Amino acid sequence: MSYQTNKSFAYYHQGKILELYRITTGIDGVIDTIGGYKVVVPSSSSTSGIAYPDETIVNGIRVEYTALVEPFVVENPESTAYTSLTEVTSPTELSHLNLNRILSLAIVDYLRAMMAEREGNLEQKEYYMRHFHKKVSKNESNKNKIYIAQSSSYAVK
Amino acid sequence: MTILEIMERANSRDTKLAIGFIKDAITQIQSSTDIVTKVEKQTLTKGTRDYYLPTDMISLKSISILDTEDDNKYKRIKRITSRPNVVEDTNP
Repeated sequence: MSYQTNKSFAYYHQGKILELYRITTGIDGVIDTIGGYKVVVPSSSSTSGIAYPDETIVNGIRVEYTALVEPFVVENPESTAYTSLTEVTSPTELSHLNLNRILSLAIVDYLRAMMAEREGNLEQKEYYMRHFHKKVSKNESNKNKIYIAQSSSYAVK
Repeated sequence: MTILEIMERANSRDTKLAIGFIKDAITQIQSSTDIVTKVEKQTLTKGTRDYYLPTDMISLKSISILDTEDDNKYKRIKRITSRPNVVEDTNP
């Protein structure tokens, strides 16, 4: 019988452990009659706190996270629907990366950076890592295009 | 883009090493952005406080609890910023 779980639950994250708490709220006081009305006179300022979960809910916790999900696939992801992609567990040179083109190019920069590091060329490594981060952030900003519609002088107000 | 194409562009010849670096790069991308997210569901048990996070997790996006009173919708819950007073419970 979980109710308004977004308000009645909270979590604390410590390493690999997720601590789940139920938020409790209430008034701690005594009932008194003032002016013919029964009122609760609080004995403390607040009794809100946290307690352990008070019920069992099957599949009650949903954890959403990022992980290494299907990094290599058989089909070309640029021309195949996402749901039709087949994961490759033992990738070969002919396996495709399950990424769009800009992120694939970022991977190229990362690989170049790692190669430069192996050769002891740290300046070149930093150069390619900058390009790697630039392409990753470009890929993110491409999703956040803002279109502003300005009203003309003849617009109805 | 195939692994071979990436290797040719980066002038790399060792396939195993390249695949290892590609996995590292994707992990790094997934830790700062979310190309694709994964969902795991666990049973909430009465009186139990501690639950394990998924072992393959790179970065946590959200925690939700099932609201059985509102047509079984998962609702995102808030994070407590400061550590609660009870650090270890020997009699949970």
